[in-house]
Amino acid sequence: MKERIDPNLYNDLEKFGIDVGNWNECYHCGNCTATCPLTEKGSLFPRKEIRFLQLGLKNELATSAEPWLCYYCGDCSKKCPRDANPGELMMSLRRYLTSIYDWTGLAKRIYTSKIFEIATILVISLIVMVLYLNFTFFPSGEGAWTGNDGGVLINKIAPWKRIHFGDWLMAGTLAFFLITNIFNMWLNIIVKDKSVKVPFIAYFTEVFSVVINFFTQKRFNKCDNDNKPYWVIHLFLMLSYVMLFTMIVFFLQWFQTDSVHPVWHPQRLLGYISTIGLFVGIIYFINNRIKKAKENSKYSHYTDWTFLVMLFLTTLTGILLHFFRINGMAQATYITYLIHLMCLVPMLTIEVPFSKWSHLAYRPFAIYFANVKKSALKKQVKL
Amino acid sequence: MEEKRIGVYICWCGTNISLMVDVETVAKEMAKLPNVVISKDYKYVCSDPGQDIIIKDIKEHNLNRIVVASCSPRMHELTFRKTLVKAGLNPYYFEMANIREQDSWVHTDRVEATKKAKALIAAAINRVSFHEALDSRSVEINPATFIIGGGISGLSAALEIADSGKKVFLIERSGRMGGHVADFDLTFPYMYSAQQMITPLIQRVKSHQNIELFLNSEIKEIFGYIGNFESTIHSKDGKETAVKFGNVIIATGLKTFDPSNIENYGYGKLPDVITSFEFEKMLLNGIIKTKDGKEPKNIAIIHCVGSRNKNYHEYCSRTCCMTALKYANQIRCELPKANIFDIYADMRSFGKGCEEFYTLSSRRNIKFLMFDQENDLPKIVSANSGDNCDMLIEINEKLTGKTIEVPADMVILMVGMEARENAKEIAHAVGISMCGNSFYIERHPKLDPVATTTNGVYIAGGCQAPKEIPDSVAQAKAAAARILATIAKGSVEVEVTTACVNEDFCCGCQTCIKVCPYTAISFDAEKKVSVVNEVLCKGCGTCGSGCPTGAIKCKHFTDMQILSQIEGIMKISHLELQEA
Repeated sequence: MKERIDPNLYNDLEKFGIDVGNWNECYHCGNCTATCPLTEKGSLFPRKEIRFLQLGLKNELATSAEPWLCYYCGDCSKKCPRDANPGELMMSLRRYLTSIYDWTGLAKRIYTSKIFEIATILVISLIVMVLYLNFTFFPSGEGAWTGNDGGVLINKIAPWKRIHFGDWLMAGTLAFFLITNIFNMWLNIIVKDKSVKVPFIAYFTEVFSVVINFFTQKRFNKCDNDNKPYWVIHLFLMLSYVMLFTMIVFFLQWFQTDSVHPVWHPQRLLGYISTIGLFVGIIYFINNRIKKAKENSKYSHYTDWTFLVMLFLTTLTGILLHFFRINGMAQATYITYLIHLMCLVPMLTIEVPFSKWSHLAYRPFAIYFANVKKSALKKQVKL
Repeated sequence: MEEKRIGVYICWCGTNISLMVDVETVAKEMAKLPNVVISKDYKYVCSDPGQDIIIKDIKEHNLNRIVVASCSPRMHELTFRKTLVKAGLNPYYFEMANIREQDSWVHTDRVEATKKAKALIAAAINRVSFHEALDSRSVEINPATFIIGGGISGLSAALEIADSGKKVFLIERSGRMGGHVADFDLTFPYMYSAQQMITPLIQRVKSHQNIELFLNSEIKEIFGYIGNFESTIHSKDGKETAVKFGNVIIATGLKTFDPSNIENYGYGKLPDVITSFEFEKMLLNGIIKTKDGKEPKNIAIIHCVGSRNKNYHEYCSRTCCMTALKYANQIRCELPKANIFDIYADMRSFGKGCEEFYTLSSRRNIKFLMFDQENDLPKIVSANSGDNCDMLIEINEKLTGKTIEVPADMVILMVGMEARENAKEIAHAVGISMCGNSFYIERHPKLDPVATTTNGVYIAGGCQAPKEIPDSVAQAKAAAARILATIAKGSVEVEVTTACVNEDFCCGCQTCIKVCPYTAISFDAEKKVSVVNEVLCKGCGTCGSGCPTGAIKCKHFTDMQILSQIEGIMKISHLELQEA
């Protein structure tokens, strides 16, 4: 198959952060691929990706799963004799691929325009505020702030059923976008690759790789040993997020209670553990990015910052919300709840299907598709 | 006949020889051979104390022949000849036996190696008895220099010699000076203007009082030898000028490869496939346009056209890679929005400032694609109307392993360099040799890259091999320096171990004239015998072995000397057999 060079691909990719390294200076010594602990026969990166970019082979880039197989330990960038920065290039390609998979075009606009991203966050925040004020029983008069006993009546002001309905609405929408985007990813990585024909059965034999990689990120652990704490913190952050997400979206009735449970109650314990996981992770990653401490935190795209700041604000307001509630500070609780939702909803809406948090789904699925392809190729060779 | 009194010196060469050869025993046994007056072994015979021993022995024991058994004559024959001169002996009364390179270094059995050393030394002892005294001769140098070619090499050499006050005859076949450099716009890697470099040189040569310039002129043949050449310059207008000179510089340069034969590139058929020299002209005129007068949006540069490929030339033309980068940079300046594709086989960026130039170029959004120069050349075809470009280049790109189509509106072929079509005639005219690619051969590829095997004839610039401007200038000025050195000396020593003809035995068959590689032998029609020009003769001995009547004697390699040497080896082997 002949592929035509697209000389303008570079311009398309510029705003995704591709420009931080001298990628055009790469002379293909292959040190990056040699040093990478994750690359293997059949899926060679990052040299190959740099080549595709240099030549402007858009289709090759759009259909490759390799950028998702990289966890950015940064060894390649350290070893590169030409300062081509392959690690950050792979990161930029993940941003680019996110925009390729997203059929709505929103991801591309978020990744290429700061103003658009901030405006979107503000608009969603406002919508959340309007909905909250209209569909909850936010007190308007004096004395309506507390119950008869003076306690916080969060379920009276913002009944869990209503919030839960909103949760489901949001989760459904997000799931719709995410699943259709993953479908798009499947089209790109497997269907458009004519060199391999995937038998139906392969999709079942490899299904465990999605689950295992989602919960353990064990490939990440294969990266350089210096990154052990990094991997632990990253995993803890991710699992904490998933835990809180699950409790809020699926068990809100159990999670949002008027009565204050004792400290050892599973509801509070799980909440605390997850919050610690989130908070420690966020502080760690913000610190890394400010100090440019690691190869992978040296270069920050503005979306990296948006993500961390939104996550930080959500967690902080969540902690305050809990603090106010258990201390019976009713007025502060209701207002903080509103602010919390105004941070949480735009964060999830933007990050999960269209921006950085989509890695959560794309990474395990890319590994899944890559494994499916690999097993299909093995069978092809045998035949 | 004088009595032969031979001194034999066996060198240990530290442990180089003594580890594998029992030098003390050998020295004792050699002392028993006839005519050997003294036989010694010493740690380093070539050292000053070692040489002093020889000088002292010559005087005390009245020695008149010396044999040193040590390393290769390449290494120290001259050293010991000088030792003999110091002691008042003719330097040719010396013979060397190589018991290091040909014995101790290449054998592992000490007993056998010792036997071999005895045989080699005995041969030398036998031979040295027949050595004759030879006297060195010198010829006067005519201080004028003849330079063929008015390119940058010829001009540089001419000015160097003329500035020192010596006469130069500079001849140029075409009607203008400056050669290829005069056709260039800028030069890599520092982007100096070629015009600004070459024009002052041409002006100075034109007005120099010591340079006699012959444009539109050629020569047919050069006669004579170092210091005393002569020739006739034939001008295109029919004028003939006879000139005499002492040294020659060949600076005839090279020409560009014609890519019409490479089918894949369609040169001559596709209008916008042009050679690098045609593109250089565009740059000189300051307009980059296709044949239709449009500004090209996509420009491709293909490297190694005619170079590094068995079907054309196997060698690398050295200058094209960096010239290609120079074009890419110049295009980037002239047409900032153009897509530039650099299609290369290997990027050869040796030389000062060149790798840096490559790094700089790779920052300027130039796309580099690699192809297989040996087996898989890119193919250029016309594009269809929907393709939004004039041509498509199909490449099996090496670094991706994929077949890629590159859009192009203009393709620049980086044509290689080859020897001029009349290289052979010039080589014949001045008596120098050519390699398989018709470039002239230097005397030694490493140690003497300026001289040729013909004394007084030097080569400079592209006629020796494709090279860049600074290399050509350096070689030209080195040739000039060599010539000025011989002029300063006033005379030059010539080889004494030459051939000579015994006119009584010569039958006039002229076999020797046919086999002589240095055209040193001519035929005396009156006497009907061959005559050796001793200045041209290098003493190679080819005539001597070719001569059917034995009329030709090669000094220092007479039949007697060689036969006695063989006899010496046989004698020792015979003794060994008897012992066994």
